[in-house]
Amino acid sequence: MVITLLAVTTLTFFLMRAIPGDPLSSLARVLPEQIRANYYAKYGLDQPLFTQYLMYMKSLLRGDLGESLVNPGRSVTATILETSPISAQVGGIALLVGLVIGIALGVIAALYKNRWPDVLVMFVAIIGVTVPVFVLASLMQYYFSVRLRWLPTSGWGEAKHMIIPVIVLSFGTIATYARYIKSSMLEVLSQDYILTAEAKGLSTGQVIRRHVLRNSLLPAITILAGRIVGIFTGAFVIERMFSIPGIGFYYVSSINNKDYSMIMGTTVFYAALFVIMQLIVDIVYTVVDPRIRLQNKD
Amino acid sequence: MKRKAALLLAGCVFLAACSGGGGTASSTASSQAAEEVSQAQEETSQAETAETEAEETPADTAEGQYYSSFMDADPATLDISLRADSYSSEIMLNTMEGLVRTGEENGSYVILPALAETWEVNEDGTVWTFHLRDSVWEDGEKVTADQFVYSLRRSADPATGSPSAFFLQPILNFGEINAGEKPVEELGVEAPDDNTLVITLSQPTPSFMMMIDATVYYPQREDKIAEFGDKSGSEAEYYISNGPYRLESWVHNNSIVLVKNENYWDADNVSIETVTIKIMGDITTAYNAFQSGEIDSVYAEALEWRETFEAQGDCFPVDYPSASMGFATFNNKDELFSNVNMRKAFTLAIDLDEMNEMCFSGMRSPAQGWVCDSMSVEETNYRDRAGNMMQAMRDDMEAEGMTPQDVLLKGMEELGLGDDPSTLQVTMGIGGTDEWYRTLGEYLQQVWKTELGVDVTIDYNEWGIFVDNIMTGNYQIGFLSWGAYYNDPYDVLSLYLTDLDMVMTGFSNAEFDALVTAAASEMDLEKRIQNYIDAEEILIRQECVVCPVACAEAHYYYKNYVKGYATMNFNKIGLKGMSTGER
Repeated sequence: MVITLLAVTTLTFFLMRAIPGDPLSSLARVLPEQIRANYYAKYGLDQPLFTQYLMYMKSLLRGDLGESLVNPGRSVTATILETSPISAQVGGIALLVGLVIGIALGVIAALYKNRWPDVLVMFVAIIGVTVPVFVLASLMQYYFSVRLRWLPTSGWGEAKHMIIPVIVLSFGTIATYARYIKSSMLEVLSQDYILTAEAKGLSTGQVIRRHVLRNSLLPAITILAGRIVGIFTGAFVIERMFSIPGIGFYYVSSINNKDYSMIMGTTVFYAALFVIMQLIVDIVYTVVDPRIRLQNKD
Repeated sequence: MKRKAALLLAGCVFLAACSGGGGTASSTASSQAAEEVSQAQEETSQAETAETEAEETPADTAEGQYYSSFMDADPATLDISLRADSYSSEIMLNTMEGLVRTGEENGSYVILPALAETWEVNEDGTVWTFHLRDSVWEDGEKVTADQFVYSLRRSADPATGSPSAFFLQPILNFGEINAGEKPVEELGVEAPDDNTLVITLSQPTPSFMMMIDATVYYPQREDKIAEFGDKSGSEAEYYISNGPYRLESWVHNNSIVLVKNENYWDADNVSIETVTIKIMGDITTAYNAFQSGEIDSVYAEALEWRETFEAQGDCFPVDYPSASMGFATFNNKDELFSNVNMRKAFTLAIDLDEMNEMCFSGMRSPAQGWVCDSMSVEETNYRDRAGNMMQAMRDDMEAEGMTPQDVLLKGMEELGLGDDPSTLQVTMGIGGTDEWYRTLGEYLQQVWKTELGVDVTIDYNEWGIFVDNIMTGNYQIGFLSWGAYYNDPYDVLSLYLTDLDMVMTGFSNAEFDALVTAAASEMDLEKRIQNYIDAEEILIRQECVVCPVACAEAHYYYKNYVKGYATMNFNKIGLKGMSTGER
């Protein structure tokens, strides 16, 4: 785990410095040489690259992610701690909504395979996967805010601000899960033990609840891990469109602005979160799936 | 029609309210108001009639006027010495007060007293003395001349690493201090007493008054900087104002709220109580918000949106030239472009009117020279005097009975490159990769192919890479924009001084240098203008160092009830001059 993080940090550090430009180029200005030199000296950018790397790693070990180069006075750690919960709030609700609706639709599609509910669900799923979120977001913003005036176009702080972003963000999850659950359910339905269960005389409802659903949800946990990490890192496009002060902005803008410390901070944060999440998923698996526990004992 | 009525009302109100208007403005105020009324009656274009006086204070200053607008990005920082982006400058303009504010009157700029009640300059134009009025910060602390001295020294100090410090260039010893060769105490600023600020310049600088409404000339509180430390200007709680508004709240990437500062010296003339500035990174969101009435102003260049707004009827457009020039720069050290006829051929091949339509949807104005249409020398519009130099260059060519291709062939002959334009290898760099830049690149490629017969390769890069190439002289032609920092032709002409050469053209001309340098310290207005014109003649008409293409324009829409907005580029009155009528 530590090695993975070290590798990610080192690679990112040198890759990002290989990109031409510097934090001052975000101003889209050509500045006099002396002004540039003073700025470089202030942030230690005039030191040899390897010295800068050592300095960075030293402060990283102390848990200090440094100060933003583009937003002087704003600490990277504080920015991450302030903005990622906001992203997580929108993303979390959207994920929950998406999961519930997605799983329900997937079950319906599997049970009514090749009949109209299945066709309808798959149609929605294909739209959800293929239509880019910003198109969906623009459409919803236009109809609900401009035409109907039901909801504000953008903003943050009240429940009404979250409605459109949550719907738009959950759409992708709904689409992914509906398709995923459908196929894994169909697979389970064709298993011998389902036949056995039916032969035992269980009702359809009981078969679905006790055997089909439980078994077909297992693989869904794997893709869930990535999604949970994703909600903390924000949704850049949606956050930008709806003026949500989340972390997504910093992931994209820090690279465009060459805000070195912010690039490093957000990358380390993402990598750490991802590694931890993988660990949790492995643990959860042993709890949910008895077969894994059995193998471990052997 | 609605708009007309509103204007008539505004005009009448103006007559009633203009008494006590600041400084030079009041003398012509009534004629201005009368002119507006008649304009409205004649139903001239909305944009023209929309022109209202900046210091207008309508009598209907009802309690609780509010205004909402937007910015497309979060300010980087509100630290006076560290800021450099335009977003922070917009917030500071409304929350800080400097020595003077530039206003507008009948299409000319006027310098209005702000904290400096009066000022005088010694005979040779090097020592400027400002007499400050008694005023306080939002917390009641007195604004003193010492705070100006502290602020200027802090920005000049190399340890501060201020990206806007070059604005202090004219001040005595700035160069040495910023290079770390002299202590900051030697900067040419002094405070003999609390209400007197003396700034000494290294040479006479008649345009100095045009520079000092820049944010870097605002005062700073040493006690607050010490208290805030590194966090200064990073959040609303680490910021203190002395201007028309105070910073009530700042949620990064979401919104900024400004509330009228009751301690402001001119608070009686501030109409709007609360201002909400929403940060909308996506322009479509801003358009939607404008349509649904959540914000009161928006800028719009895209034709389809302009049509939508026009059809809506509850808003009106305000258009005026800004001071950003789009141009193709030639590497004058390149084998091909070291030849003046090559540079001229590539310049004259472009039909600037057509290019404006094709590449900028007609929303810019075709270049008339290197200096933008909006710039003036004190109160005289520069372009009106200098004329259209791009046309003059074309006339010169036509007088000789030549076409752009003839000029190219002449250049090729001088360079010994034969007479087949298709053998030339030319690459143009463009600092962007999205559709707008592609259109631009492909248009120029096609123009040079048909007009000159030259196949030009276009090299699209991200801005950072592109600028690196320009700065290291690793280019033949590059497309850039340059926005003026302050309103004087020196600001943009000085880019090409041999010692500066800010866009790495490699151009060096002793006569040009002499003219521009002389103009910078020429106290006689007429001589100064003439020097600028002569310098621009060399730069464009004779040497064609760069190819100016189009000057950007500001295109705003305001809701019908908004009054007192700027209609000129360097107007720095801001929200202070604005008000809202009945919504």
